[in-house]
Amino acid sequence: MIPEMGGIAVLVGLTVSVTITAILMPEKTVLLASFFATTLIAGVIGAVDDMKTLNAKVKPLLTALAGAPILLMRTYSPYPVFPIVGAVRLTIVYPLLIPFAIAVPSNAVNMMDPFNGTMSGTCTIVTLVLLFSSLILGRSDAALLSVCLLGPLLVLYYFNRYPAKVFSGDIGSLSIGAALGAIAVLGQLEAVAVVAFAPQIMNAFYGLATVGRLYERREVSRPVTLLDDGRLMASADPKAPITLARVTLARGPLYEYEAARVFMVLASIAGVLAVLTAYLTMVTP
Amino acid sequence: MIRRVLDFVFVLLFIWACMILGLWVIDSFIVPLQLPGVTDDIMTAILKVAISAVMVLVWLWLWREMVKRMFWRAVKSRQHSADDLQSDSQSKEWRNKVIFKNDR
Repeated sequence: MIPEMGGIAVLVGLTVSVTITAILMPEKTVLLASFFATTLIAGVIGAVDDMKTLNAKVKPLLTALAGAPILLMRTYSPYPVFPIVGAVRLTIVYPLLIPFAIAVPSNAVNMMDPFNGTMSGTCTIVTLVLLFSSLILGRSDAALLSVCLLGPLLVLYYFNRYPAKVFSGDIGSLSIGAALGAIAVLGQLEAVAVVAFAPQIMNAFYGLATVGRLYERREVSRPVTLLDDGRLMASADPKAPITLARVTLARGPLYEYEAARVFMVLASIAGVLAVLTAYLTMVTP
Repeated sequence: MIRRVLDFVFVLLFIWACMILGLWVIDSFIVPLQLPGVTDDIMTAILKVAISAVMVLVWLWLWREMVKRMFWRAVKSRQHSADDLQSDSQSKEWRNKVIFKNDR
């Protein structure tokens, strides 16, 4: 028996790191409070989903609400910076996009947990990429928040990697996704985060595009099947969603640790491209 | 393993390059666009957003099509190799039977 809802440990770890940072840097209290409240709301939604499965349409709507603390505390900047384009003034549109900026990564991370350690491992890479990019672009807030999240994530990855000793549960995946979305918004790393999140976006997008609607895992055919020798194989069912796991296994069966390794390599490549995006943003006049 | 990763690398690079190219097109052509006969600033802004939105949709469609084709091509190539193996083993079996028959 492997314990689920290990994501609680991430929330506890984040509480400690955010509290210590707020004590050391009182001028950042509002920023830290909006970040933590966003993560906590997503975590509570995840906990409810773990105990009583939420409807596939209700969950994204609820996670969109997790963006409310950022809106209410006005800790965002409506001037996102893009590579080549530079700073853009979006005073009216930007606040409307914040709920999506939290709900999309939150649910995308939640959907990308097919193998042991893939969710925690890929999110650790995304956090490292956001930290590195914030250092390149001189975004101290993003660096601070990334460091706060990195510690609890590394611990979760240690226990969640193959063979997993603990599962994160929806409480972990939804809160981590929301935290990463919040770092992108609060730290003005929107473009970098989109590139770093490419594997997660790919996975969610392919699934939604093939099924044609929001779906809960139990509602559709399984995209991956287990062979007698313990290897995983892509399902041949044309109705099954084309997820990243299914595409990875399309060339032939793999053991779970091998498939998880492919995901980690993919996240690393997306990370390199994200850092390149940060560099392009930096050199944009 | 390398082949699987390479497939994704190709998709990621293509999608990233398209995104950067799209940003350049928006910055160089769509933002400075002055539509003939349209004097209303709000109307011009809405048209610019609509053109950019169409570009994003095309980008997403390209992404989806690429992966869909990549997936089914990989599945078919796996099936072909499985069929080849099967036909190869069948022909070996038939050849053994013939040799055995001739020997007798």
